[in-house]
Amino acid sequence: MSETRLSSSETHGVPGKKRYAMVIDLRRCIGCDACMVACKAEFDVPLGVFRTWVPYKVVGTYPNVRKHFMPRLCNHCEDPPCVRACPVGATYVVEDGGFVLQHYDRCIGCKACMASCPYNARFMLPKSRTYTDITSVVDKCTFCHHRVTQGLSPACVQTCIGRARIFGDINDPASEVSRLVSTLPTQVLRPEEGTKPHVFYIGLDRNTSEFGREVYSRPEVLEEDRQAFNKNHQA
Amino acid sequence: MGDFNIFHHMPWSSAYSIYFFTIGISAALFFMSALSWYREEFRTLRSSAFYLSFVLLVVSGLLLIGDLSKPARFLNTVNPAYLNFSSPLAWGALNLLSFGAVSVAYFFMMRKGNEAMSRKLAVLGSLLALGLPIYTGFDLTVHQNRPVWNTPLMPILFVALSLVSGAAVASFLAGKQEKLLVMLRQIMLWSGGAVAAMLISLLGTTAYGGTGEELTFMFMTSGTLGAIFIGVGILLGTAAPILLLLAPFGRQQGGVMLAALLLLVGGMALRYSILIGGQIVQTYF
Repeated sequence: MSETRLSSSETHGVPGKKRYAMVIDLRRCIGCDACMVACKAEFDVPLGVFRTWVPYKVVGTYPNVRKHFMPRLCNHCEDPPCVRACPVGATYVVEDGGFVLQHYDRCIGCKACMASCPYNARFMLPKSRTYTDITSVVDKCTFCHHRVTQGLSPACVQTCIGRARIFGDINDPASEVSRLVSTLPTQVLRPEEGTKPHVFYIGLDRNTSEFGREVYSRPEVLEEDRQAFNKNHQA
Repeated sequence: MGDFNIFHHMPWSSAYSIYFFTIGISAALFFMSALSWYREEFRTLRSSAFYLSFVLLVVSGLLLIGDLSKPARFLNTVNPAYLNFSSPLAWGALNLLSFGAVSVAYFFMMRKGNEAMSRKLAVLGSLLALGLPIYTGFDLTVHQNRPVWNTPLMPILFVALSLVSGAAVASFLAGKQEKLLVMLRQIMLWSGGAVAAMLISLLGTTAYGGTGEELTFMFMTSGTLGAIFIGVGILLGTAAPILLLLAPFGRQQGGVMLAALLLLVGGMALRYSILIGGQIVQTYF
């Protein structure tokens, strides 16, 4: 199937170029949060902010209920709105691999990239950090660029106990991600935004991935949760 | 049932709405000062409107820089090696700087009494001033995932809001100049009417949009922003002053000033609710 290319940096399907992607098999995710912990350890991600996170939703009606986990991270889009929005080119696409990365020394902290990301994948680093001197700039998941270029898989993928996260070059027909995306029904988050995300989900239910009308009349417990979260996680 | 366990913060805080407000007024006041070279009624506003415009430009710049998490790096926005022209913020930074430079040159030409040059700079400055509300509108419009913001109306709405707020401030500078007050009343009426028409359109398209748009409409009309958007922004700050200006009392100095005050309050409330309204729903995703 051919696809219209809008961005010059698109590498999906371009011969001779790598295009990394992640497949998340939601049927395998048990919500252990090990990926979040591995990511936190790999990058010294401060309290209150996340490069990857695993929200859950309780679906169904008692007694037929289950927790639906949906691991999230930067979608390393082919047409990333954050790259367009940054006034100083602090966000850029690595053409060989499709990583969307950040020049920390350029970022002015205008938060335009955060406003433009449909996936809330970006966050502001706090003013002080214990082990790292990168502060007060916007940060996000890098698909573990430093590990992948050394032939390793991303930290979250390596640690996933259920092999719910699979990572690889989608341009390589022999890769597992390519096989999964080709042979199984997969979905991306918010395809209507035209960003061409490269995190593919198996078993994603659109009814549970989007916010529902309940956010308008929020249940008390959700509001309490939010207040507690905001109180404890001021970045 | 409590669902998602991670919540997100709004990237753009209310400080931006104050910036939208002050920069809009600054742009319109420069326009009024420039107009004084071509319309005699505006003659008394030439210096006062310009000085206030310049003060507000400085305040706006400081607000913008102060809101950056790396304020010292604001010069990156004018570094040719860094500039990314697909971002409206890059255009905005250049627009702001050129407007500032033209304002300074305009000041010196006015002081020297060089009318020919002042007239030219007035036209150039007015064009750059027009760019300020347009770029602030584009700042919001380009975010395709944001309800309310992502509409072609936004830059035009910001131009109309800029004119109405600028005319409102100018009416306080006008004193008892009857002819000037008549002109300012006209500007407030027409641009206020344009704001009202665009708000109706904006509300319609938001209410009939997808889930995100519909929820945003609900938050803005009956939810957390209901009182400030509908109550202060639309009823008290747009509809009431328009009606007041149309009434016989609205033709007197007191009436114009009261309407101007209401329009300023409304202009601030509208900018705030549009800025925050576009971000509420996304914090739950």
